[in-house]
Amino acid sequence: MRRMLRLHRIFVAQYMKNLMEYKVDFLTGAISFLLGQIVQIATIGIIFSQIPHLDGWSFEEILFIYGFSLIPKGIDHLLFDNLWSVGYFIVRKGDFDKYLTRPINSLFYVIAEKFCVDAFGELLMGLILIVYSVIMLELTITWYMIPLFIVAVLFATLIYTSLKIATAAIAFWTKSSGHITHMVYMTNDFSKYPTTIYNKVVQTIITYVIPFAFTAYYPASYFLGEGDPLFRIGGTVVAAIVLFVISVLIWNRGIKAYESAGS
Amino acid sequence: MIYVNDLRKEFKKAVKEPGLKGSIKALFKPKNEIVTAVDGISFHVPKGEILGFIGPNGAGKSTVIKMLTGILTPTSGTCEINGYIPQKDRQKYVKEIGVVFGQRTQLWWDLALRETYLVLKEIYNVPDDEFKKRMAFLNEVLELDEFITSPVRTLSLGQRMRADIAASLLHNPKVLFLDEPTIGLDVVVKENIRNAIKKINAEEGTTVILTTHDLADIELLCNRIVMIDKGKKVFDGQISELKHEFGNMRELVFELSKADDLKKLNYLEDLSLNADDLQLENKNMTVSVRFNSNNVPVEKMLSYTLSKVHVKDINLKDADIEEIIRRLYRQEVSIDEV
Repeated sequence: MRRMLRLHRIFVAQYMKNLMEYKVDFLTGAISFLLGQIVQIATIGIIFSQIPHLDGWSFEEILFIYGFSLIPKGIDHLLFDNLWSVGYFIVRKGDFDKYLTRPINSLFYVIAEKFCVDAFGELLMGLILIVYSVIMLELTITWYMIPLFIVAVLFATLIYTSLKIATAAIAFWTKSSGHITHMVYMTNDFSKYPTTIYNKVVQTIITYVIPFAFTAYYPASYFLGEGDPLFRIGGTVVAAIVLFVISVLIWNRGIKAYESAGS
Repeated sequence: MIYVNDLRKEFKKAVKEPGLKGSIKALFKPKNEIVTAVDGISFHVPKGEILGFIGPNGAGKSTVIKMLTGILTPTSGTCEINGYIPQKDRQKYVKEIGVVFGQRTQLWWDLALRETYLVLKEIYNVPDDEFKKRMAFLNEVLELDEFITSPVRTLSLGQRMRADIAASLLHNPKVLFLDEPTIGLDVVVKENIRNAIKKINAEEGTTVILTTHDLADIELLCNRIVMIDKGKKVFDGQISELKHEFGNMRELVFELSKADDLKKLNYLEDLSLNADDLQLENKNMTVSVRFNSNNVPVEKMLSYTLSKVHVKDINLKDADIEEIIRRLYRQEVSIDEV
């Protein structure tokens, strides 16, 4: 584990040096992301200027859930972004060869190689929204909420990452699975709003099939004083662990099916 | 050291009719066919040997190398290297091997070359003093100094290849796999790289497996060659054996003084030969005739040729490796003969 952390630090350092080679590219990425977020928040603002309450949730409460959803998404984006490339081209072009000829875990190597600084936009935006809504809602924060928040965020991140690992690994069989990852990933948009506003089918899917509801609505609603922590936080932990185990199994099976590309 | 036993690899290939219509049809009714890329190959390589792995494009060379390096999982059969099964003990195994794919770089594209070595040092856990010694050695053999501070993307192909070979040797591997290490390089760089491979093999006893299309690589480097075609092994032995086996092929090259003279030559009928025994090529009045000296003695060929035509210049050549391999590639010689 210590060796992995050390290697990760080295990879990140290399990546940052790399980034400095392409400063304009980096800045454009960060700015375009911030603009995108501002537009989204503005949209929510416009909706709430017409409808003061959404299924019993106030504007500030929605902002809290929305802000919460950005934190695990941002962490996943920051650290595990290279998984997209696996599904889109690393496997198809045969570039995965490289990861298999190094004496480190291939999944770790792929992940550690890239570090997506754009994600700081998401993280910053998420934190601002959370702080703002906590102040506006005058939420009382008890001491145990802090570790619970951290646990919820970490395991919510693991849900994102596991879904990306599992869908990226499909490429080992199909050569390309970027669009599958994209399709699954996009359902996280549902998690930015209270799950209760959706019909039963959508609710079931985002709770039990692609459990994005556990990355935002369920844990966030606990902090808003709704419901028991056992399901809302515990569910996040369980869903994350189950998904992670399954995704690693798929990944390891996938490596055996990997066919490389002609050279 | 390396034991390969009945190694086989099959790929599933989707069969599609051409065009968009075919693609749509394949989407709903996928048809697959099994392609056997490697069809039961066995060989053994002792420690310290340089083995040349040759064969025409698409023969399955790269697929074998990829199975030996743990990238691909064999459909059946086994390979065991340094006591490891590559796919099973992958992480431990790859610590002891170096891999270079000539068509693909393993260097960090945008960083100074030096940075690549620093990252690899960490990946392979090379201690500081060992690393210094290693870099000094590699520097001496591959002359990296002149470009070690340049970003990898600015290196020339020859520099990049030298850098790649150095990268694969940083952790002092016991086996080095080189897949087309001289592809696309000029004569001087080729020479340079061959010398480096020789030196590393001699000084450190590194076992080297190399694939190449450059026959000079084989003649200058390899103790032994394994030739494969269509996924099957067609030859395994010393280069001298190959020469001995097929050494009966000779080549007569002469320059005509009159272009019309060529019509006067009718080797097949006049010397009653089979088409297999003789091949004739004519390029701008220079004619080269390859013939099997078992079936037609050299002096007969010479006297017949000289009696029929006027030549400006004439030259008799031994069969070189190139010639033998050309014949094997064209399947003029079947496996049974070998």
